[in-house]
Amino acid sequence: MSMNQTDNYQLDATRWAKGRNTLMLTVLISVIACVAGYLNDPVQFHRSYIIAFSYVAATGLGAFFFVMVQYLTGSAWSVTMRRIMENIMITLPACAILFLPIAFGLKDIYPWTNRAANPLLGTKGAYLTENFFVLRTYIYFALWSIWIFAIYYQSTKQDKERSARQMNVIARWSAPGLFLAIVVGTLASYDWLMSLEPRWYSTIFGLYILSGGALTFMSIVTLICLGFRRAGILKNSITPEHYHDLGKWMFALTAFYTYMAFSQYLLIWYANLPEETIWYRHRSVGGWLGISLAMPFIRFLIPFFITLSRPAKRSLKMIAALAIWSIIVEYVDLYWVVMPTYFKTGPQISWMDFATLAATLSVCALVFWSRFRKNKLAPVGDLRFEQSLHFENA
Amino acid sequence: MAIDIEQIKDKLGFGEDKIYAVMGEFSDPHDLVHAGRRIREMGYTKIDAMSPFPVHGIDAAIGVPYSKLGWIVICIALCGSATALLLQWWCGTYNYPLVIGGKPLFDFSFSIPITFELTVLFSAFASVIGMFAMNGLPRLYHPSANYRLAHRATDDRFILLVEADDPKFDPQITAEHLKSVGAGTVEVVIG
Repeated sequence: MSMNQTDNYQLDATRWAKGRNTLMLTVLISVIACVAGYLNDPVQFHRSYIIAFSYVAATGLGAFFFVMVQYLTGSAWSVTMRRIMENIMITLPACAILFLPIAFGLKDIYPWTNRAANPLLGTKGAYLTENFFVLRTYIYFALWSIWIFAIYYQSTKQDKERSARQMNVIARWSAPGLFLAIVVGTLASYDWLMSLEPRWYSTIFGLYILSGGALTFMSIVTLICLGFRRAGILKNSITPEHYHDLGKWMFALTAFYTYMAFSQYLLIWYANLPEETIWYRHRSVGGWLGISLAMPFIRFLIPFFITLSRPAKRSLKMIAALAIWSIIVEYVDLYWVVMPTYFKTGPQISWMDFATLAATLSVCALVFWSRFRKNKLAPVGDLRFEQSLHFENA
Repeated sequence: MAIDIEQIKDKLGFGEDKIYAVMGEFSDPHDLVHAGRRIREMGYTKIDAMSPFPVHGIDAAIGVPYSKLGWIVICIALCGSATALLLQWWCGTYNYPLVIGGKPLFDFSFSIPITFELTVLFSAFASVIGMFAMNGLPRLYHPSANYRLAHRATDDRFILLVEADDPKFDPQITAEHLKSVGAGTVEVVIG
């Protein structure tokens, strides 16, 4: 039985180098493709890039939120896979660099940069200025990074010291950190995505984007764990019991996302105010209508009913399918949020959508992987580590 | 009319001469799981356990199948969704059509909250009532209460029992088996 077998918690150096080389190559190819795309059509490049950037940033925020929740609740189930979560969390500071193409392409992305075309911005005009926008974004990243590096430093320190001190220090950071993840994350989503339609507003929009990001994060954790399992890494530490819990989380976040998305829709539908309904109006014409009508099915009904039963959540194949499905529909969702700003008649898929996504994802994957060179694959110094190894669902 | 106690006892399924089970107790939940697994390996199928709190792994150890309650709940929950949708559609469109705020008489947008609420309400009722029904509750009498330490199962003892309708059951041999896996205070319980 797996109970008696232990895993190697340090990644083999040759294996690590092999992974790094593959990721380096992917980064290189996708960045070259992005540069070619930029030189060819900078407007399309920037528009594709804002989706790709938002995708990884929302995932990083989801990781930031969940790592802190694990510390605050003192959960034992997640301990064996927490280093994977923390390594995803540390891709969020890297997004500060990934933001640079947006900072230099604001004119191609945001309609509010053209004052003449948007005379009705009112007092929002003072808020949505280019310099202030970039400054705000870097304040968000600075705040998040302080917390993320502090938590990550303590967590890796615990691998050696094996004391409860680090655990308590991180828990103290985590409580105000949740505020940073949710409230500052909401502000960031207002800036990056909601200001695409500068006169439109929805207070729940931040949670809508963040819940989607949290679901992507949980799906990516599941896929990484399953990939590791196939490669024989952490095979005895992350058991079907842990996958069952990951399945529950993806299921719960699917429902939570739907709650947010539907609340936003229902309130706007009911109030029926023109400045609010315009956002849905743009998404119910031409080719966008099909995606809008498909949303309740692809984002809720299909994943919800497929994973409702316990045996489904305990099947590794089913949760792998759910994870892949969730990360694909999240991209469709962000595409549907961003692109109607530019293409009024329907989606116009460009090869740059894929190139930019490959670039941001592979850069984040490289950051993720690079942390495994020296650090352990799991927080072996955590006091709940043994408990997590033998975790069982009731 | 005189009440025949014996007749009532017989009707309710209990009497002095009926053996219910052989019962034994443990003071540690791990011992209970371990002993339960060994008793099951001896070929017994009608095993039950009682504990003051949920014990991890006991279901698998004594071969209790996973509850079918979920299937009952999903069926009733879908009935709840259908009830809510039909109610809103029928009231709004046929029974008392009234245009409010220029909204359609029926629409899937505004009917979702009520549908959600009724689905949750029906599932909650289905869970609680279904759980009681499948456990045969409420009941005024259960023979296991005749065991000398039965009340300790709500405090600090973990009870393992083999029911008399088990095909392998024999009062003496089963009692010996229970003792051999470490149970204390083994009794043949009648009732």
